[in-house]
Amino acid sequence: MFGYWDALYFIYVFIIGLIISYILMKWGEKASMGTRRVGAGTKVYLSGEDEDEVIPQFEHLRGYFTGRHVMWGLIRGINRMFIAFRREHTGLLTDYVAYLLMTVAIILGVLIIWG
Amino acid sequence: MNVLPFLIIVPLFGAFSMPLIKLISEKFRDIWAVIISAITLCVAADVFYTIWKTNQIIVYTLGDTTPLGKGVGFPIRIVWEVDLLGALIAVTIAFVSLLAIIYSLEYMKYDTGLDKYYTLILILELGMLGIVITGDIFNFYVFLEIMSIASYALVAFRNDTWEGIEAGIKYMFVGSLASSFILLGIALLYGQYGTLTMAYLSHYITREPTFVSKVALAFILGGLLFKSGAVPVHMWLADAHPAAPSSISAMLSGLVIKAGGVYAIARILFSIYGISLNIRTLGWIVIFFACLTLIVGNAMAVVQTDMKRLFAFSSVGQIGYILLGIGIGLAAYGTKVGQIALAGAIYHTVNHALMKALLFLVAGAVLHEVGTKNLNELSGLARKMPLTSFAFLVGAAAIIGLPPLNGFASKWLIYESSALYNPFLAAVAVLGTAFCTAAYIRVLFTFFGKESEKVKEARDPGKAMVIPMIILILAIIIMGLLPWQINDSIMLPTAKMLEESGKYVLAVLGG
Repeated sequence: MFGYWDALYFIYVFIIGLIISYILMKWGEKASMGTRRVGAGTKVYLSGEDEDEVIPQFEHLRGYFTGRHVMWGLIRGINRMFIAFRREHTGLLTDYVAYLLMTVAIILGVLIIWG
Repeated sequence: MNVLPFLIIVPLFGAFSMPLIKLISEKFRDIWAVIISAITLCVAADVFYTIWKTNQIIVYTLGDTTPLGKGVGFPIRIVWEVDLLGALIAVTIAFVSLLAIIYSLEYMKYDTGLDKYYTLILILELGMLGIVITGDIFNFYVFLEIMSIASYALVAFRNDTWEGIEAGIKYMFVGSLASSFILLGIALLYGQYGTLTMAYLSHYITREPTFVSKVALAFILGGLLFKSGAVPVHMWLADAHPAAPSSISAMLSGLVIKAGGVYAIARILFSIYGISLNIRTLGWIVIFFACLTLIVGNAMAVVQTDMKRLFAFSSVGQIGYILLGIGIGLAAYGTKVGQIALAGAIYHTVNHALMKALLFLVAGAVLHEVGTKNLNELSGLARKMPLTSFAFLVGAAAIIGLPPLNGFASKWLIYESSALYNPFLAAVAVLGTAFCTAAYIRVLFTFFGKESEKVKEARDPGKAMVIPMIILILAIIIMGLLPWQINDSIMLPTAKMLEESGKYVLAVLGG
């Protein structure tokens, strides 16, 4: 069971996390590593999708190489996952039927083998 | 006197008297809806208190004292059977429904056809209440359909926009499909065992678990996962919940997916199938869908720009936590870990109903005042609508799981039990929370950001909309400040009672 100190610990870790993220953000802005200010608000670009494929101070990772670099590759991977999510389709009835049938098939398969 | 039947009679009477009451005056019609839902809440609270105090399951046979037919050895009558879980969910349903109706007094002020609206909302409430009190699986299906049909109509209630109509029709088509799967499963069970009473079904399945019973379970579980909005059958939810009026969204996200989804899953898996099939396998099936739901639901919430759609995807994510608790409760059946997980799942079901109701009421207030739910246009809302923004802050902090709010208590139980059962599951749960935090912090930044043109004229809504939000804020804070007391005195006994499927069966067989 959880206790009082666990809750305080949770807040403590959360606040430290917030402070670290803020410092990182400020540092990122100052160093302008793949960060641009656009219009009224701030838009953070992941450099992988930058059109000229150059990250300031990371010129050695220029061009197609950018996406292959491990760190940027990972970030790009996560970014692509979200882009895929953004293209969500909530469309066709046939899809719903297919997903429902797949769900039932998975459950039935597992129940027959291990149930 | 057994007040249980009044849980159905009162909202049913209220719903069907609404067209007549409207003839007296429109104001009295609104007050009538509030009175009916308040009485329903009192009845639900009484039922809950009776069961909690006596620790006894209430069994009520319609039209007789025993479900058995005259001169035959099998049950032919409909049985209502309420344990602590059913009663707890019934109180939650009645509480949130009352607040949604009070909120509607102002929120729906400019809409027409409100007698139909209040009739439907009361039918929706009685459908959900019926689901959680019934002990007959076909009666369960009937109430599920009553609930579903009322929600299809309510999603499309504002038929002056295409969004509502499209979502309503889509919801109706696919919802009916899922219902037909559930009905097919029930038909298979009836064909195999010749009874529809859950307690007798459990008795027969335990004695002779056949292949047909497994096929039936697959159909029923598939349909119920759909109704609860679990991934991969969640897409309808993101369309249907945001399109409805916000008071209805609060009920759909807060209650409908619980009563018609996770509650039903828990009831069927624990009380009917429990010990007859391999319970670890059952648990891992639920855990598999829970993990998918956790990650996808919360991650999808991050990329939304429509506030209500974000909340709807967040509901998908939160259903993942509840399913995870139920799954571990099954897989670790009979152990302390399983019991904590199940208590966490039940606790989170109640908490999420309150938190999500609050968040959708906030979205409704914003939509009512600003006329948009697009997050890109809502910057700087906090200065113009301080109370609404505070309500959002509390709701968001609670759903992320920040102490000392109620979401922390229930999520902590789920984290703790999943970490003890399988650390990988805890990692998945925490990852889901990271996405959830990202999604809500985005909205928070929008609310507290630079003031945009759109929000210049905005102000906090009137009393009828503010009071339900304040009550929900208080409930969230109080439930967060007393987590041990609530967990030890309500959630753990509820989990224990759900686990003891023998007691559920004997309550009917022995009576």
